[in-house]
Amino acid sequence: MLEVLGLVKRFGDVVALDGLDLQVAAGEVVGLVGHNGAGKTTAVEVVLGLVRPDAGTVRVGGIDALAEPRRARALTGVAAQDLQLYVTATVRQNLALCAGLAGLPRRAADEALDEVGLAQAADRRVAVLSGGQRRRVQAACALLGRPRLLLLDEPTVGADPQTRSALLAAVRRRADEGAAVLYTTHYLPELVELGATLAAVRAGRVVARGSQAELLAGLPSRVVVSFDDDGGRLGPRGHDEHAPGRDEPPAALVGQPAERDGDAWVIRTRDPGGTLAALVRAGSLPRRVDVQHASLDDLYQALDEAVRDAA
Amino acid sequence: MRRDTGATGRIGAMTRMGVTLLLREPGPLVSRLVMPVLLMTLLAPLYRAATDQGTQRAVTGQAVMFSLLALSMVGQGIMSERTWRTWDRLRCSPTSPAEMLAAKAVPPLAFLAAQQVVVLGVGAALLGLRVPHAGLLLAAEAAWVLMLLAVGMALAATMRSPAELVAAQDVGGLVLTGLGGALVPLSLMPHAAQVLAPLSPGYWGVTGLLGALQGDRAAVLRSVLVLVVIALAAWAVAVRRVRRGWSRRDLV
Repeated sequence: MLEVLGLVKRFGDVVALDGLDLQVAAGEVVGLVGHNGAGKTTAVEVVLGLVRPDAGTVRVGGIDALAEPRRARALTGVAAQDLQLYVTATVRQNLALCAGLAGLPRRAADEALDEVGLAQAADRRVAVLSGGQRRRVQAACALLGRPRLLLLDEPTVGADPQTRSALLAAVRRRADEGAAVLYTTHYLPELVELGATLAAVRAGRVVARGSQAELLAGLPSRVVVSFDDDGGRLGPRGHDEHAPGRDEPPAALVGQPAERDGDAWVIRTRDPGGTLAALVRAGSLPRRVDVQHASLDDLYQALDEAVRDAA
Repeated sequence: MRRDTGATGRIGAMTRMGVTLLLREPGPLVSRLVMPVLLMTLLAPLYRAATDQGTQRAVTGQAVMFSLLALSMVGQGIMSERTWRTWDRLRCSPTSPAEMLAAKAVPPLAFLAAQQVVVLGVGAALLGLRVPHAGLLLAAEAAWVLMLLAVGMALAATMRSPAELVAAQDVGGLVLTGLGGALVPLSLMPHAAQVLAPLSPGYWGVTGLLGALQGDRAAVLRSVLVLVVIALAAWAVAVRRVRRGWSRRDLV
């Protein structure tokens, strides 16, 4: 549904896109992830025709979006990172404009408001809405008329959990109905909830793509363990026996990459279960255990390290 | 499902929003409707004492001066949309730049038409203004209004901030009205100003309206031609700028 090949965009000396390739199939949710400034928003703006690329091609539903941007936009629903709302107009008036531009009857606006749970606020001015409600209005504009391609650029920024959950449910429904969804975010849990394929962007190009399990599989988890003052020693201890824990790692951690963090030890390991089992086998019982699986930050860090190593 | 309703449907949707926004803050509309009527009524005796065509000059001068409302209305309308980022929302839709600009022009055009009718109507009813050739007057008014709207769009599309736009409108207003002879009859202005006056679109606006009131077809034709050429050039600048778009660093 969306096919982007070799996009290049420079702003003066800054290379925003450096040969970005990206495909999103019908019914697929692709989560575009990357550091701030990685090129995610510029990529979305190029797809929309808001920014002209220096090189590359964009096809939406088989249409050359650079040569025929208006035809391509007719297939696309957009929720930009910036709130693009007429704040002195009412919610319904904002939606009516979006419906009018998309060639939809006004009742389509009411349906979209129902879907994002804003029917009660339809006649209120946007200026008096909360940040989360404004996000819902923005999303409703994108969802209007069931577009074949949805471009959602950090659509839940500043939204409360309830709003976030409602928006994600609506996006998931659209994907189940066959829409292709390109979704940029910094929140991995959102992409997990959407069952998205991840495309990691770094310095203007997609450097890794796959399911979350695939991309995060090889990355170490963080196991945070705290011990009592005696190092969590199991069983009786002789008077001359050394008590590890507070100031030095328990015996089972020696040789593992462990760092001190306050009262706790942080162990980076690909096998959290094995590490904990080794601790207990060595006679140390942690008072508290917190296993933190690999996150987007870990992925970014690993990608940065991989690029540095390659260089 | 989404369908293409054509340019009319899209312009209609954008125009409805434009009217909504305009009516949210009606103060400027009311003041620009009342002020020219008051001023021309007060100034008419002075103009009559100073020139042969005092009534005509009083009415046309105020009509031209306060029609600058259109310049600021369309300019501020576009600049507001740029700062609110709603302009990008429109650009993300199947709408063309020309449709966007046309939709922004409709509400100011409608108000301006109403304003000019009121000014000329009150001038005729209270000050004895005679309109011998309504067709000529309509042509002169239409050319003047189109020029104002197009220049307003070009300014709003090329300026980088609301403050820059206000500055441009201040300077533009002076050039369009004062130098053109809308405030003080040209014959009473210094020689240098009289020589420079034809460089001002306002000069052609005033001479066109005066020509229409005097039945001078040649003067109206000249005025209409010059104003339409300026309008087309400004329109082209605005459309080109909107089509090219703005990056995130183009707003100060």
